[in-house]
Amino acid sequence: MMRISVLVVIIVMLSACGALARSERPSNPPAESGSAEPQAPAAPSAPSTPTPAAPTRQFHLGSAATALVAQAHARAAAGDYPAATATLERALRIEPDNPLAWIELGQVQLAAGNAPQADNMAHKALALASGDPNAQASAWRLIAESLRARNRNQEASLASARADGLAPR
Amino acid sequence: MARRSRKFRLRRLLWIGVPLAAALAGITALALYALHLDHIVTEQFKGRRWTLPAQVFAAPLELYAGAPLSMSDLTQELARLQYRPSVTLDRPGTYRLADTRIDIALRATRFADEVRPAQILSVVAGASAIQTLKDSHGADLPILRLDPLLIGSIFPSHGEDRIIVTPAEVPPLLPAALKAVEDRKFDTHYGVDPHAVARALWVNLRSRQIAQGGSTLTQQLVKSYFLDSRQTAGRKFQEAIMAIALEAHFSKADLMNAYINEIYLGQDGDRAVHGFGLASQFYFGKPLAEIDLAELSLLVALVRGPSYYDPRRHAQRALARRNLVLKLMTDLKVIRPEDAASAAARPLGVTSRGAGAYYPAYLDFVRRTLRRDYRETDLTQEGLKIYTSLEPRAQDAAEQTLDRELTRLERTRKPVNAALDGAIVITAPASGDVIAIVGGRRVGYSGFNRALDAARPMGSLVKPFVYLTALETHRYTLASIVQDAPVDIRLPNGTHWRPVNFTRQVYGAVPLVRALAESMNLATVAVGMDVGVTNVAQTLQRFGLERAPAQVPALLLGAVNATPIEVAQLYTGLANGGYRTPLRAVRTVISATGEPLRAFALELTPIAEPDVVYGVDQMMQQVMERGTGRPARAILPADLVVLGKSGTTSDLRDSWFGGFSGSHLEIVWVGYDDNRPTGFTGSAAALSVWARVLADLGTSSWSAPMPDSLNEISIDYLTGLQVESGCTDKDAISIAVPPSTLLPKQPGCPAATTPGVLQRLGERLRAIIHQ
Repeated sequence: MMRISVLVVIIVMLSACGALARSERPSNPPAESGSAEPQAPAAPSAPSTPTPAAPTRQFHLGSAATALVAQAHARAAAGDYPAATATLERALRIEPDNPLAWIELGQVQLAAGNAPQADNMAHKALALASGDPNAQASAWRLIAESLRARNRNQEASLASARADGLAPR
Repeated sequence: MARRSRKFRLRRLLWIGVPLAAALAGITALALYALHLDHIVTEQFKGRRWTLPAQVFAAPLELYAGAPLSMSDLTQELARLQYRPSVTLDRPGTYRLADTRIDIALRATRFADEVRPAQILSVVAGASAIQTLKDSHGADLPILRLDPLLIGSIFPSHGEDRIIVTPAEVPPLLPAALKAVEDRKFDTHYGVDPHAVARALWVNLRSRQIAQGGSTLTQQLVKSYFLDSRQTAGRKFQEAIMAIALEAHFSKADLMNAYINEIYLGQDGDRAVHGFGLASQFYFGKPLAEIDLAELSLLVALVRGPSYYDPRRHAQRALARRNLVLKLMTDLKVIRPEDAASAAARPLGVTSRGAGAYYPAYLDFVRRTLRRDYRETDLTQEGLKIYTSLEPRAQDAAEQTLDRELTRLERTRKPVNAALDGAIVITAPASGDVIAIVGGRRVGYSGFNRALDAARPMGSLVKPFVYLTALETHRYTLASIVQDAPVDIRLPNGTHWRPVNFTRQVYGAVPLVRALAESMNLATVAVGMDVGVTNVAQTLQRFGLERAPAQVPALLLGAVNATPIEVAQLYTGLANGGYRTPLRAVRTVISATGEPLRAFALELTPIAEPDVVYGVDQMMQQVMERGTGRPARAILPADLVVLGKSGTTSDLRDSWFGGFSGSHLEIVWVGYDDNRPTGFTGSAAALSVWARVLADLGTSSWSAPMPDSLNEISIDYLTGLQVESGCTDKDAISIAVPPSTLLPKQPGCPAATTPGVLQRLGERLRAIIHQ
């Protein structure tokens, strides 16, 4: 019995390692060390913060995507949403599996008044963010905002609550 | 007498008066005619608006640290953009290669969203990726795009195509050369040059044929801009008057610039190459500003007869005339004799047609996309700039691989009269970007575009949608046992449908995942009939099939016609976690002045639950690991995770393969245009093309996080029985199922669990779990 439970623990650990190793492989270019995601929205992620689910990974945008996101923010701030979108699509082509890129794109969609697209992109991000509570929380916050933009306030509160449960503000 | 003298006077009056009146009338008519021509000339020429065909650009190559590009990828792209090696790096459009570092003098470029000035860039590239990217001051650059490659233009039916150049973009030597060769008195004459006319007349009389034109540049401009090409005395007269009128109203500099943009310089199929801007691209693949003396002289040589001196067809003639141009320029001291001598020693240097930027199948798709939003005249006249998703690297690889593989495949078969043909569509599934379209084997030929127009039965490519519909009922999992057993369906018309397996075998009870991996027809029909043909048809439409398919049982085995581009759209949803993204070739359209007109932004539409799509994807992974896609493993890099599905239609008329990696989706069709049997199954012909193209692309592994709503378990691929942790089973595969799933367990599994071998066992388990 003891032996079996040890085995189970080992298997779980090994498979977790495997999952982690595999999750490391996606086409994300090597993020330069020290380039934390300054552009990542609402992701004040101190590693010590207790989170409900054990995080198995943490997404960062690489330096190229980070630069593009910064450029997109400037363009969105100037009200040029099509240009901001085009810039974020460049980032997305570099890191199509990075939920943070999808969240950025969704936020511009929301600012441009396209709440349903923002919602879809947030859900897409959510699916990719598996294992990263901070990224999941960002996705839920975007979902909440996109619901609120359509006056679906009750659903928005639920989405916000899910975000807070994953990564308290 | 008096009568007589009166008569005489009258006669004298007539003698003088009639000619006088006639002369007056003639002068008046002439003046009116001249005024009329003057009006035409000023009105039409004042705005000086050429109808400008839309220019179409490929996606610019993105450079950043970590970009999966080797040094040879980089130099190949620079070669496509006609950048030249240079030691001094003194002008845009050049580069200097030193071991792993390359310095590039970038041209000023207009992108869809910004204009980038010319600048110097330093790139260090390793074997497979860019390591650093720095500007001329040595500062790190996070990201920078190379120039977008001009891949063609959408010209009107009369075929005039041109690229307008401003005086600043014209090498100063060009006007000087034109004057030296075509019109030495250009700076001083009033539109016509009587001396030149007399000389030409003399030469022509002596040789009894029209050998010399004697036309000034202004007359040539008039002839090309206002008149058609007939040569009559009346036309010559009209031409002369209009030339004089032009000279009266416009400056010499204006006229020279108009000439440089107007004149006819070559023919490319239906497309007439006008102006030196386009001619420079057409013959040398680079901007006019970058051409050297030898190239400039060749273009000037072409003025006299673009067809007669065509450097691609009549190289000797072209070379002789180019060197004559060089000599004339030397005689007039426009250039130094030593420069002329070194230029005369140079080869013609024209690019070979078809090499580089010529992708008619892709342009075809661009044109069709835009026709929904623009009138034909907008596209052919307004000078729009169209930025597309085409990746020349992928396009070139796909074109070459298709032809090479079809040639190889033909050699393995008995000779047939018709040539085997094919089509390829490559997309980036996350964004819906169409990055390559091969419409057939003869790529430079804009004929039948199989990628867009060959609607053929999908065959087994339809099966993932049958299984997806099954998973959506929540009555099936990947481990569900289905019966691959003889099927007999009575159709409404009284006939019976009795499909068979491709192998003519019957497999009995098999897990769902194996039924798809091995493309079992009978099991698929059983599943499809259970979930409903109507539901399968609806799934196809949800994924983007535009026509409603006939709802007959044979739909389950692919009795629905689709073109390769339509299949690419259908498979996008499978590659993209259950989201549909419209395929798009065009990203942005901007006006001639750079105003953004239209952006085709990325859009997502949820069309299936992520956990269902994840399940189908896992099954398509087994197609490659253990099923009909397995032969691809010998071609693809060992650790590359790809997903796919083969397709073959009855009598092997169509050979399909469709699938995707992490970054690319590729659909391949191989067959004969007349629909005769190929003798190849999907896994023989299309698969070998598919895998070789994918291997060339340098693609990334498919990976998607398992949805939280699923559990990962291990089953025996052949039986579907759950493999308990601790068991070793060479046929164990890892699948994701809903947590509530209860499976029969594999009996009698001897687990070796002595502590000493724990480590080794762990390794083995990992291998099993992540197989």
